[in-house]
Amino acid sequence: MNIPETAIDYTSASYRDAFSRINAIVVEGEREACANYLSIATMLPDHAENLKKLSAMESRHLKGFQSCARNLAVIPDDAFARAYFGDLDNNFQKAAAAGDIVTCMVIQALIIECFAIAAYNIYIPVADPFAKKITEGVIKDEYLHLNFGQQWLKEHFEEVRERIMQANAENLPIVWRMLQVVEADTVPLRMDKEAIVEDFLIAYGEALSDIGFSTRDVMRMSARGLAAAPH
Amino acid sequence: MFGLIGHLTSLPHAQSVAQQLGFDEYASHDLEFWCMAPPQAVDEITITSITGQVIHGQYVESCFLPEMLAQGKFKTAMRKVLNAMALVQKRGIDITALGGFSSIIFENFNLERLLNVRDITLDIRRFTTGNTHTAYILCQQVEQGAALHGIDLADATIAVVGATGDIGSAVCRWIADRLSPKELLLVARDQERLENLRQELGFGKIAITEEALPKADIIVWVASMNQGMSIDPATLRNPCLLIDGGYPKNMSGSIIGEGIHVLDGGMVEHSLDIDWKIMSFLNVPNPARQFFACFAESMLLEFEGLHCNFSWGRNYITPDKMEQIGALSRKHGFRPLLTQAATAEV
Repeated sequence: MNIPETAIDYTSASYRDAFSRINAIVVEGEREACANYLSIATMLPDHAENLKKLSAMESRHLKGFQSCARNLAVIPDDAFARAYFGDLDNNFQKAAAAGDIVTCMVIQALIIECFAIAAYNIYIPVADPFAKKITEGVIKDEYLHLNFGQQWLKEHFEEVRERIMQANAENLPIVWRMLQVVEADTVPLRMDKEAIVEDFLIAYGEALSDIGFSTRDVMRMSARGLAAAPH
Repeated sequence: MFGLIGHLTSLPHAQSVAQQLGFDEYASHDLEFWCMAPPQAVDEITITSITGQVIHGQYVESCFLPEMLAQGKFKTAMRKVLNAMALVQKRGIDITALGGFSSIIFENFNLERLLNVRDITLDIRRFTTGNTHTAYILCQQVEQGAALHGIDLADATIAVVGATGDIGSAVCRWIADRLSPKELLLVARDQERLENLRQELGFGKIAITEEALPKADIIVWVASMNQGMSIDPATLRNPCLLIDGGYPKNMSGSIIGEGIHVLDGGMVEHSLDIDWKIMSFLNVPNPARQFFACFAESMLLEFEGLHCNFSWGRNYITPDKMEQIGALSRKHGFRPLLTQAATAEV
């Protein structure tokens, strides 16, 4: 059984309107990632060189996604995107100011990276050909970024375990709320919200499990965040 | 290492299992949550063959629920199966059986065209539907069940409902090739497929359910749910051996009558206890030993180091392949389940 679907009209007003917000979010996410890795670099001088490379990659991604908007003659809604990331960014900045590396890592290298991976995975099959090529290139890098945070947290697991759980409880519900905000915009883009959440939970769960959490912990940590999301 | 991809039979069942396992977060949520829930490796299994060989496996819960199909959430169902397959492959599991609806979803929605799942490409040689072993066990239940209940096969009429499916057609081939009963009645919805099957077999007669069941001494029910089953026990023969190979199994509670013997079809019993937790949620009298033959196929392939998709695609199961897996089944201590099915609570 095949499920027939009509082709997506990438030039339609409804598509481009939704894309103006989704693309802006992606660009803003990459911009903040670029800045966040530089912040983390100042906290982890031993890894500074590597983190600067990750930051530079994010900067390249940002330019790639800006070209996707230009390709569809869409003007990204930057103000919307900045507000969209507001809560998560505030938490990151507060943690950075307090020298709380673990929370910074959880927010940027786990949560944001997994969210980006999930969104890009679900976007690729429905993207316009230009954006598809760009996104396919980006996603390979994002797995490297996730791997960096994963490795670091794994190496310090015993001492940071509780802090990770706390950072998870504080920040994961924000992600579900963010997803809720763009739910309507994912429809014209044919991005299935349910699939994004599942993909996120897969990437996030794999990372938490590799870091050292048990299956039970992983299920509890990810589900608790979801339960807090407004329906 | 072998793998089993399974799922629970309904949302209330899933919620109750989650609660019993102590996953309260999963227990309290509705279908929308299960639609987003990722697959989980929830159990580690150790099984010993009667040869003394010991192997290890993992059970992956796909979080698929039949309600997803009933509500037309086909994409969700497809995603559940693909994501569970990706998880077992990522865990380096050599051979995995697709249990319950998983193989049906893979086949019916042509998931073969969607093998790229995120950063991995599914290697279908690592998966088996387990249907060859299921078909073999069903046929053994026919043969041994008939002997047990005084039905002479040479003089018996056997009806196979769901005859054109992968398992149904394999059962028909075995019956035509090895059993030669008095009559074989072929029942299915698709007339063209039925005619093709009859021609291939060179044996048997096409019939509709209402006509076939009252004539049958043995009924092999391998149609999956949604196929509108309603059997009036009063119309069945005495004795009648009813082998419920459908999924989920729901006949034993509803079809009760004198001389009616219902077996849980396609189920095996192992000679030794298996170390696992998840099967205690199956509705069988002895969950340490009794379970689905399709799952057992991945164990047999692991015992033998046959890491290949032994059962794959539709209608490729031959009596020779059934005999081959049957020999392995006997060698390692499995036998068909022949005790009367428990009253189901589906």
